Amino acid sequence: MSTATTEPRVLGKPVTRVDGRLKVMGAAKYAAEFNPQNVCHAFLLKSTISNGRIASLDISAAESAPGVRTVMTHENVPPADAPAAEHGSGGGIRNEERRPLSDDIIYYGGQYIAAIIAETPEQARHAASLIKVDYESKPPVLTHEQVPDKGNKPQENNGEPVQLNQGDIEAALDRPELTVVEHTYTTPTETHNPMEPSATVAEWLDDDHLTVHDSTQFVKGVQDLLRRAFDIPQENVRVISPFVGGAFGCKGALWPHVLLAAMAAKKVGAPVKLALTRQDMFSGTGHRTPTTQTITLAATADGKLQGIRHRVRTLTSPVGDYVETVGARSTGVMYASPSIAVEETVFPVNVGTPTFMRAPGECPGIYGLECAMDELAVELKMNPLDLRLANYADKHPISGKPWSTKHLKEAYQLGAEKFGWKDWKPEPRPRTRDGLLVGWGMATASYPGYKMMAEARIELRADGTARALCAAHDLGTGAYTVLGQISAEAIGLPMENVTFELGNSDLPFGPVAGGSNTTATVGSAIYDAAKNLHQNLAKLAAADSASPLHGIDPEKVTVTEVGMLASSEDSDKAEAFADIMQRAGKQTVVGTGGFKPGTSEPPVAFQSFGAQFCEVQIDPAMPRVQVTRFVSVMDCGRVINARTARSQILGGVIMGIGMALEEETVYDPATGLPTNRNLAEYHVPVNADIQEIEVHFVGEPDLAFNPMGARGMGEIGITGTAAAIANAVYHATGKRVRDLPITLDKLL
Amino acid sequence: MNPFTYSRAEDAAQAVAGLSAEPGAKFLGGGTNLVDLMKMGVETPPRLIDINRLPLAQVEELPGGRGVRLGGLARNSDVAEHPLIVERYPVLSQALLAGASPQLRNKATTGGNLLQRTRCYYFYDPDFPACNKRKPGSGCGALDGFNRIHAILGQSEKCIATHPSDMCVALSALEAVIRVSGPEGEREIAFADFHRLPHDTPEVETNLAPGELITAVDLPAHPFAANSLYIKVRDRASYAFALVSVAAAVEMDGDRIKQARIALGGVAHKAWRAMEAEEILAGQDAGQAIFAKAAGAALAGAKGYEHNTFKIELAKRTIVSALSNLTSPA
Repeated sequence: MSTATTEPRVLGKPVTRVDGRLKVMGAAKYAAEFNPQNVCHAFLLKSTISNGRIASLDISAAESAPGVRTVMTHENVPPADAPAAEHGSGGGIRNEERRPLSDDIIYYGGQYIAAIIAETPEQARHAASLIKVDYESKPPVLTHEQVPDKGNKPQENNGEPVQLNQGDIEAALDRPELTVVEHTYTTPTETHNPMEPSATVAEWLDDDHLTVHDSTQFVKGVQDLLRRAFDIPQENVRVISPFVGGAFGCKGALWPHVLLAAMAAKKVGAPVKLALTRQDMFSGTGHRTPTTQTITLAATADGKLQGIRHRVRTLTSPVGDYVETVGARSTGVMYASPSIAVEETVFPVNVGTPTFMRAPGECPGIYGLECAMDELAVELKMNPLDLRLANYADKHPISGKPWSTKHLKEAYQLGAEKFGWKDWKPEPRPRTRDGLLVGWGMATASYPGYKMMAEARIELRADGTARALCAAHDLGTGAYTVLGQISAEAIGLPMENVTFELGNSDLPFGPVAGGSNTTATVGSAIYDAAKNLHQNLAKLAAADSASPLHGIDPEKVTVTEVGMLASSEDSDKAEAFADIMQRAGKQTVVGTGGFKPGTSEPPVAFQSFGAQFCEVQIDPAMPRVQVTRFVSVMDCGRVINARTARSQILGGVIMGIGMALEEETVYDPATGLPTNRNLAEYHVPVNADIQEIEVHFVGEPDLAFNPMGARGMGEIGITGTAAAIANAVYHATGKRVRDLPITLDKLL
Repeated sequence: MNPFTYSRAEDAAQAVAGLSAEPGAKFLGGGTNLVDLMKMGVETPPRLIDINRLPLAQVEELPGGRGVRLGGLARNSDVAEHPLIVERYPVLSQALLAGASPQLRNKATTGGNLLQRTRCYYFYDPDFPACNKRKPGSGCGALDGFNRIHAILGQSEKCIATHPSDMCVALSALEAVIRVSGPEGEREIAFADFHRLPHDTPEVETNLAPGELITAVDLPAHPFAANSLYIKVRDRASYAFALVSVAAAVEMDGDRIKQARIALGGVAHKAWRAMEAEEILAGQDAGQAIFAKAAGAALAGAKGYEHNTFKIELAKRTIVSALSNLTSPA
């Protein structure tokens, strides 16, 4: 008798993307590429003021323009709205909570004030230019300094604390023997700018059946909000989103254009396609709030932190209550310190509602904290890496729980080795290369392990193939591939025999593709469904006297070889799936399962960490910063696919380079409109900006977290990047820029 | 997008006649800027006259060693890669390659590049109410607005926009000549006289007469042309408009500068020829002190605004860097 546990067969393999060929051939269909018969086209007119009201709106010329089917304004639309679901309920997310076109008040620049539906996109766009709007305008409030009151200090956000107060921070900061550094860091408004602008194609099949092709991170959330908005049964709303051309958070909540598309389709009695323009994307689908962070660190001469105070100001809109949770998600997890205080204030301004953007909270917060740590290292004359090691958190700094797994020390070590950090020199401007200044910087990266809820279904066929189903999402991240790998592993089939289907609300429940949770959550559901599948196979075998598994307890089976069901107590007792099904006369056997986070607090903390090292090169005369080398070493539990995992970290680093050096949405002080709402003037990194980026992984499978042992990868890559770069810029130039992005004018 | 009529011209005369016949009509070359502006609602021509079939795409040597002629429809990529340009006018090749992206350069034409409109936010996005260039008399949104990319030289209270072209900066330094064909026949316009400063009429950007078609750009065979370069300073490594750029050409006599040409981009309503700097350099020994003096003279009249004052220092440094490059022994 043997009870062999086998190494994973498919998990960990660098499988190429299963949808790669479709994408390269242009055959992967995105939301705006669906063209139902007789589809009409919508164009949205945006407010050109940011604060005030619409005094008059003359749509007569637009209504009589060629091809126009209808013009919807606050004066003529029936209500259609659905409040956001309770957090954690699995229902849809709203960040902008106002019903579109519900009144004449203008809360922010770019707010939609009319929807024009015509037979062609050009006709709709032209008709929009014929609408005459008069406003009663007030000066916009755009910054926290302009907000008259003291702002709001939320205690909780999405079930997590926002404010922290542990130990006696005031006492720590007063201790005269400690070295104290205090500086203020600012990050600007950033806009996601995925390649694919959001698009919705809405089609009413009859009065209470709605089909929507939507570019979304949450098909089930859109389904939930649409069924409540139009008061129809859940199953009557179909939301289809097989491919999403990047999202980074801006397609997680339901934004007004989705409701408007469905409202318009109902009104004109024909399908309506609403493809947002790039300009629309700068006010209509969220952004990362700007932050102002004052960070105070107090440490002993040998670098032991005694106090960390992180004061944060962020912005939100008058029509939503989005909170970024900057301090708790960065300072609250990173370093051991007897006192930690986070104070976060949110101010409403006349700008569209912010939303999740790749590592919301961690990304700006870790930037601030890791720059402050670098400044403390300079003050203490310590190697910045040694300062991090001196404050290594062996347990969660706030909850005190042990980590499920944490291999940050290995990450520091391997990163330092790969980068050559041993040659780091303490003084700024340590070296030049061809007349250019060269500097090094490092930072710690971190992101929590999140799980939400999901259901999965597996259909095993007699021919040895299977399909696995969940209403999950592939935003270009590789979810089709990775979830396919997990399915193949869990079922016990070769990768090429399994197809994974996602992006459709008809499928079993899938969570929002956010918080880097898809792999962990959906993977857990797949494992549960596979277990159920194996039990259902075992029941067939148990009842079959011809089977070697005759009489087996269906709870006590496992898969030890591809396509073979075996007794978990004696692996010599085994039979092929196909043989069991053939004798039982079954063409298909189904397994269903799911995952729900427990109601009780887990005894351990799930958190990923990483180390990031960076080299910059700067021409002292024309000081544009170039990132010449970047090394990331990440501990995210088991790497399920080295190829897509590397790609996620690369993308995070590249987006972090944009955050550090280029990205900023700037609002015009007079009108409150975003000035640079196009890809020529909102700069994201181009190929020529990207030089050598290395990615490595350390650690072990986090089996306390899920059966795959994997924590998410989507967000951690960006978290330490901007700080590593900012610290390298200081090292290269001796000049500390505390205001992102570090454009060359700040270094002249 | 405003409705418009499309027609195609078979020869230059037909194109000129078509443009003269309909006020507001525009020629369509590569369309890389015009079509974008039409989508934005900034340009609303009632008619587009497609001139792409006109035989104006050549890059050819002028007889008698008088230089090189670029056809009005010569594509930016073809000009940039042409051996005559790479060898004799490196500043032009470098400027073209510093602009836009390969895809855009494959479409964009020489004539169209001359007629690019500014990238000023307040001009490019009609949701901004104030722009004297787009809507004369409406004011300038940039003056007290976000003016990081705006002009520091030659601007007026009516307009502080900059010209976005890289090619034009090189053409300015090379003292190119624009050849046009119009209702009154053909004529030549010196490069320095082609674009206008904003003054009180920022909506009028060139001295082209109504109905005129750019048929060619002539590059004279100046002795300084081959020793030339283009430096573009921008916010990212590629695909961004210049914060400041410098086109410089220097004729040396040993260590002595015989004559120099310097033009600046990203700083004015047109490519800005720094003649005061050129005068200071002429006949002087090359060296950092004289470069700094020349750079100071070039920017002597500069005025910055809330967000763009850095351009003054940046432009000086870029001039010094360009001159250092051109005068140091290879």
